[in-house]
Amino acid sequence: MTNNTVSVLYTWGQFIPEFALVALAVLILMADCFTALPKRVYAIVAAVGAIIGGYFINTAPNFYGAFGTIACLTTALVLLLAYDYHKVACASIGGGDTEDGTAELYSLLLIACAGICCLCKARDIIMLFVSLEVVTLSSYVMAGYFRRNQGSIEAGVKYLVLGALSTGLLVFGAAWYYGTTGTFVLNAGLISEFFTRQSSVYLTGFYLSVGLLLLGAFFKAGAAPMQIWIPDVYQGSPTPVSAFLAVASKAAGFAVLSIIIIPFARLYPAFPDKVGVLASGIAVAAAATLLVGNLGAICQNNAKRLLGYSSIGQAGFILVFFTNIASAATVYCVTSYLVAYMLATVAAFFAIAMVRTQRGSEEISAFRGLGKTNPRTAFLITVAFASLAGVPLTYGFLVKYYSFEAFVEAMQYQSGLIWLLPFMIVGAAAGFYYYFKVLREMYWEKPQEGDTALKVPVVTAAVLTGCAIAIIWLGTEPLMFMPAN
Amino acid sequence: MIQNLPWLFLLLPLVVAAIDWLCFSKCPRTAATLSTLSAMATFGLCVAYLMGWQTGTPDSYTWMFAGDAAGLPSLSVGLLTDPLAMRMMLVVTGIGMLVHIFSIGYMKGDSSNLSRYFAGLSIFMFSMTMIVLADNLAMTFIGWEMVGFSSYLLIGHWFHKESAADAAKKAFITNRVGDFGFLIGILLTLAVFGTLNFAEMGGKAATIAPAVLTATVICLFCGAVGKSAQFPLHVWLPDAMEGPTPVSALIHAATMVAAGVYMMVRLQISMGEAAFTDTACTVIATVGAITAVLAALMAVQQDDIKRVLAYSTLSQLGYMVMAVGLLAGEAAMYHLYTHAWFKALLFLGAGAIIVRCHHEQDIWKMGGLSKRMPLTVICFLMGTAALIAIPGFSGFFSKEAILDAALAKNPIFFWVGAGVAALTTFYMARLCLVAFYGTARAHGAAEAKEAGPTMLLPLLILSVMAIISGYGFVADSLVPYEGFHAHGFALGLPFYVSMGSLAVGLLLAYAIYGFGKRTQDPLAGNALSTALRKRLYIDDIYDKGLIGFVQSSLARAIELTDNAGVRGIGTLGTAWLIGKFGKLLTWFQGGVLRRYAVVAALGALVFLFLIASATFTH
Repeated sequence: MTNNTVSVLYTWGQFIPEFALVALAVLILMADCFTALPKRVYAIVAAVGAIIGGYFINTAPNFYGAFGTIACLTTALVLLLAYDYHKVACASIGGGDTEDGTAELYSLLLIACAGICCLCKARDIIMLFVSLEVVTLSSYVMAGYFRRNQGSIEAGVKYLVLGALSTGLLVFGAAWYYGTTGTFVLNAGLISEFFTRQSSVYLTGFYLSVGLLLLGAFFKAGAAPMQIWIPDVYQGSPTPVSAFLAVASKAAGFAVLSIIIIPFARLYPAFPDKVGVLASGIAVAAAATLLVGNLGAICQNNAKRLLGYSSIGQAGFILVFFTNIASAATVYCVTSYLVAYMLATVAAFFAIAMVRTQRGSEEISAFRGLGKTNPRTAFLITVAFASLAGVPLTYGFLVKYYSFEAFVEAMQYQSGLIWLLPFMIVGAAAGFYYYFKVLREMYWEKPQEGDTALKVPVVTAAVLTGCAIAIIWLGTEPLMFMPAN
Repeated sequence: MIQNLPWLFLLLPLVVAAIDWLCFSKCPRTAATLSTLSAMATFGLCVAYLMGWQTGTPDSYTWMFAGDAAGLPSLSVGLLTDPLAMRMMLVVTGIGMLVHIFSIGYMKGDSSNLSRYFAGLSIFMFSMTMIVLADNLAMTFIGWEMVGFSSYLLIGHWFHKESAADAAKKAFITNRVGDFGFLIGILLTLAVFGTLNFAEMGGKAATIAPAVLTATVICLFCGAVGKSAQFPLHVWLPDAMEGPTPVSALIHAATMVAAGVYMMVRLQISMGEAAFTDTACTVIATVGAITAVLAALMAVQQDDIKRVLAYSTLSQLGYMVMAVGLLAGEAAMYHLYTHAWFKALLFLGAGAIIVRCHHEQDIWKMGGLSKRMPLTVICFLMGTAALIAIPGFSGFFSKEAILDAALAKNPIFFWVGAGVAALTTFYMARLCLVAFYGTARAHGAAEAKEAGPTMLLPLLILSVMAIISGYGFVADSLVPYEGFHAHGFALGLPFYVSMGSLAVGLLLAYAIYGFGKRTQDPLAGNALSTALRKRLYIDDIYDKGLIGFVQSSLARAIELTDNAGVRGIGTLGTAWLIGKFGKLLTWFQGGVLRRYAVVAALGALVFLFLIASATFTH
């Protein structure tokens, strides 16, 4: 086992971007204490830092680096969202005019982001667990960050309790993994050796461990049966934090999932039966996720809660990529899907934050009449929701199409999974209904008396425009980002 | 980089249209200038290419593949810059440019939104270019629909007039009928030829069953029937005259309506003449001949100057389609090319006359115009001379080419052509005699004065083209057909017959109408002339019989099924069921933390059992 010790798996130099991000977080924390700059400045500084960090993470020669880049980009966008959301933050933290205590959030976001980046480099369960806990622990604090807001406190507590449950499962899985294999390293060679050597008793324990690890990943990714925390926490958390949880944290979940599954997937040609078990297990989870997320979303009236269910539903489509277990393009497809999801979801949260700040409500009905009062902004929001629903010519359509394509490919060697198809179809169809609820509110409902046009903050306008352009551009260039299979 | 210069043909008008629409909708002057400049620029570029400037093959752009593997047909956008396309571009951009210039004068003082008008012209130029330069049928189809769309916008430019709005709808919907066949034809082509690219179709026809080929060609021809307004879908073109006259000149005379002929000739060249089976050819030629005869008959009894010209366009398009059916693509393109110039001239001339007569279009309320606006009238007469094929004018050469081809292939079509020629001469002579000679019969005509410079200039240029464009020294390098060679004419049967038709038409018209001595039509009043005036009741049959029947019975039955089955059980039922189910699922999410933990734990157990139990059997 000497060749799998930590010193061989990792080098210090690999983690420079993460160290830099943490250092920036500490610097901001210090500056917040000892200087009198307006707190919003730190959000911008942190956002710039996150983008630079994301750039360097991508250059590391690393298979899962894309997840880290997505996380960094999301963190930067979330920080910008926090910048625009400052007024509500002041009211919900210090109560009223003081902006004391608003800047720690920026540090926490950076630290969580560094955790996700670390996570992408994990090759063994220890590193995986530690970096995942970095993300999770900072997320607990962030979810309950608006301490004058009851919903936020509730979200923090619920997240903490359910998170503890999932962490428990993950650690339990790690223990079983070590117990059956004698190592913490996740590596195709080791697993292959194990498969050829061990009897079925060990094998059951081994699968139990992998199942438990997967459940830990499902919690972060928001997949059934561990999706249960999502609606309440998204609804209660401060909107920028909800956006972070919805995108960056989900990316972390899928990074963990990929790190666990891909070594197995490599072994599919050699052990089709043994690896196929995992594929069918994931297919069951995908079906449940699609069902719970998409159908649960139908009767929601709160925009943030709607996006919570939507995040579950989209996770179902991402899980489908993992059922195509023999594919070499899984990570590519998953990250593409995450990019599409990020562009649309972040834009949607920006819109919610803007409506919440100016109309005081997060209900879908607060979007009423935006098509009349703010036609341009309404159009940009439409693009975001259309992409989530999967309207052709948006990137959201394309990645959903990839998901179906992956399924069709999976059918060619494990036709027993065909029962998953109706779930996908129902999920995709239901999406049109609940995402279009927002559009209906914007275009079909008339503005009520006293509804004035929203003032669109510069940052929000820029991000909405950028996301809309990216969604349409990527959506109309199908050849540019074809899966490399 | 430089090889991609031809893309400007497409992009320039498109960008200008977008800018006009989005940025200058309140500044008509800027919009007009931009559109006109873009038309001039594309014309200049086209001339440069025809002068022999070469920049290499433009890149094509593949949007997506129709299948997974390489080598399968793809959806792509590429440009063909062979002589057929580039010379057709000259017609499109040349007439387009003149129409833009003419429009500035024609639309002066019009209260509608001129930015919209010029943006419409630019989007039309883009769409038409798309058809002309398309290197595959899918791209042609996109252009095909886009010209339909721009024609809809421009016919309905004065949409506050109900007749204009109706005409726009009629044109669009009638075209959709033809396009449906066209789309089927395109899919058939993809199926039997295995490609949509014009360059790759050649030589494959011999391996395909004749019946399939016939079906494919006839389906594709449906597109031409709609766009080129052939019988039985010809009804939209006369109504399209509700649009501004320059639009009629550009779209409904010179370019768009000729796109059907262009497309058929393009197919004939790329698929090879073997693809056009005898049956398909007979169908095409017959449809063309029927259109030519019917339209010429209807034109005889029209009083509206633009409608006379519209029917004459129909009839001339019938000629071209007949030539396509006779496998004489060269003659068809020759006539398309000369017709484009002189018919644009006639329409623009009519436009100038209409404006100067205070928007009066009835020829019986004109009269004596030859004295009041002599230059315009002379230009108009040049166009008429070309249309009725007086020897020496451009139309004579091209019509002779078609008659020659008809005599060689099938004498029936030759005699039909000769008869139509006599009718053409008659109705055009009637129009000129009534409108230009005698004395003014209405207030507007009495006050008419010469057209302004922006209107006269295009008329003069087009008059020159109407005269010289048929001669070999111009035609050989400009007729949109590779290796075209004008072989002049020989004294023979076709020549004598067409001279006979000309003489008959002219003499009859003079005998009946004299030099403007009549104040009303002596032919009117009897059953035949009423039938001709009412367009042989074809429109009425469509309105009352077809549309009435379809709407009252068929559509109602479908609506019932739709309401009860699709909407009731299908949509509402499913929505209700799924909504209920969704509500059930959210019961877990009631907010009680303990319940959450229990549900998650139970779910986790099920998942673990599923994964671990599968290994028991191994």
